[in-house]
Amino acid sequence: MEQNGKLTVLDPHGQPTGIFGRRLEAQSNPRAILDPFEQPSGELKPMSMAPRLAALNGKTVYLVETGFAGSFEFMQELQEWFARNMPTVKTVLRHKRGTMFTDDPELWAEMKSSGADAAILGVGG
Amino acid sequence: MTARFADFVERNARARGTPLRFGFPPYPVMGMSRDVLRRYIEGADPITSKPLMQEVIDALTAPLTEREKHPTIVRKPRRPRWLAPDTEENLYRKFVESGWTDGLPIVLPTEKRVAEMLTGTDHAPDEIVGQMIITTHQEKMEYTVEKVAAIAVMAGARPEHFPVILALAASQEPSMPSSTTSWGRMMVVNGPIRNEIGMNCGTAALSPFNLANSVIGRAWTLMSINFGDARAGENFMATFGHNSNYNNMCFGENEELSDFEPFHVQKGFRPDESVVSLFRGWNVLNFGLGPAKEMAHVIATFGSMGTSITFVVDPLVAKNLRAEGFKTKQDACKWIVENSKVPAGHYWEGQMQSGFAAGLAKQGIEPFASWAKLPKDAPIAPRHSPEDINILVVGGETNPMWITTDFTYTRSVSIDKWRPKCGIRRDAQPLRMPAPVTCKDGTCGIPVATPSTEPVTAAN
Repeated sequence: MEQNGKLTVLDPHGQPTGIFGRRLEAQSNPRAILDPFEQPSGELKPMSMAPRLAALNGKTVYLVETGFAGSFEFMQELQEWFARNMPTVKTVLRHKRGTMFTDDPELWAEMKSSGADAAILGVGG
Repeated sequence: MTARFADFVERNARARGTPLRFGFPPYPVMGMSRDVLRRYIEGADPITSKPLMQEVIDALTAPLTEREKHPTIVRKPRRPRWLAPDTEENLYRKFVESGWTDGLPIVLPTEKRVAEMLTGTDHAPDEIVGQMIITTHQEKMEYTVEKVAAIAVMAGARPEHFPVILALAASQEPSMPSSTTSWGRMMVVNGPIRNEIGMNCGTAALSPFNLANSVIGRAWTLMSINFGDARAGENFMATFGHNSNYNNMCFGENEELSDFEPFHVQKGFRPDESVVSLFRGWNVLNFGLGPAKEMAHVIATFGSMGTSITFVVDPLVAKNLRAEGFKTKQDACKWIVENSKVPAGHYWEGQMQSGFAAGLAKQGIEPFASWAKLPKDAPIAPRHSPEDINILVVGGETNPMWITTDFTYTRSVSIDKWRPKCGIRRDAQPLRMPAPVTCKDGTCGIPVATPSTEPVTAAN
């Protein structure tokens, strides 16, 4: 409608509603990350961080390689850094199953059951 | 996480109510020597200038902050349906400066124009069509039939185009999924609607000579920009972008001149259904010539992260493939896959393979895991399944050539659901660009001289 030389137009960003995507299931095809019908819907709940450790001495730290190109070599170097500089820290280098886009609940369960104290995931991008 | 994506991941974690602690080595990591990676680890985080490993240790041992203990999800504020009334000039400026356009002029979606566009379907304006995102890390925007109508107006579409644009919206796929690798898209329309709305399936169908091809393809990207809330560098991270993002290689399959079954029929639709099929990839090699043997040769050496190939072929190529003995597209695709083998050593030397497929091989994912174990001279077919190969027929039979793309078929969506029951809503005088000239009577489109026309004489 035009009034006094002014137009009323639809806001192409008006009335957004929010649902967040999340990770893919372990068995998902890697490209499913791009498929809107495979992206889970539903409300995302806030998640607080786990309590931190007082120190790393004597602890077991999992180094989880996420699958981006070059990240395996980077995490190997990270493991060697711990061996050189913090030898009391036990490190376990593992690949995350699937690709950088998929979940790996088996690995998370293994970390819990094997007494992992902390995890470093890398390297993304 | 490498430093290039520091703000992206911090924003993402905060918005999702999932605080995480990051340390950022320099970028890139891919292809760097072990010495360089060691220096990254022993050096400073380029974002904070603090020693990277001290940050890593602090991330695991420093007590949680209150925000980390009690995170919240950050949502976008809801905005009204209409913008505040303003002059056309000011509103146009607002659309451009807000990043709501593709940079080309748009038609402002006024109440009257949107109402007219809505006559192109029977569906209610407030019906939810879908949600779209360009990354999985962002808030999905829900959109209605009315919102899609506003996009269609902006793209310059007419109500007759609206069912196809609604089908694109119903796919919920963005035309510009965000990836540093810069995705491109392609879309092909099949069925009766191609001719009803005057799409070009023939000469120069992929060039800007047809209104329907142009505005439908453009509408998909305007949807992605607005519904997907695409912002370069913020959530759209393509390092170059892709020129196909402007129009998404929108065309109709030339079913009339094709010797093969239409693409949508291959996907289980009836020939009389109207369907839009979507593809996604990176590379477009715009000239190929020769028989199936040559097609196999090209794809054997076509480096790509994906395993799919989509050939876009002139109808003459389809005829030639039939003459070679292939009764269906599938027959041709099967033969091409089986005859496009390369030595395993050659395959693994490619940067795409060492960067992506090698990671899959390490995880035991097939066929990459088996290929990694083969001797260097063992033959493998990089496109390992005939289903990975598609053939689309388009063009005007001016050259028996084909385009090779590494585009993957993603989805087909029925257009008929969105058609009005009374039929496609055409303008009283449908708006059409000139059709490709086809000489049917020997005049070749040149006006025939009449007695009143002065003869043209050669200059001395």
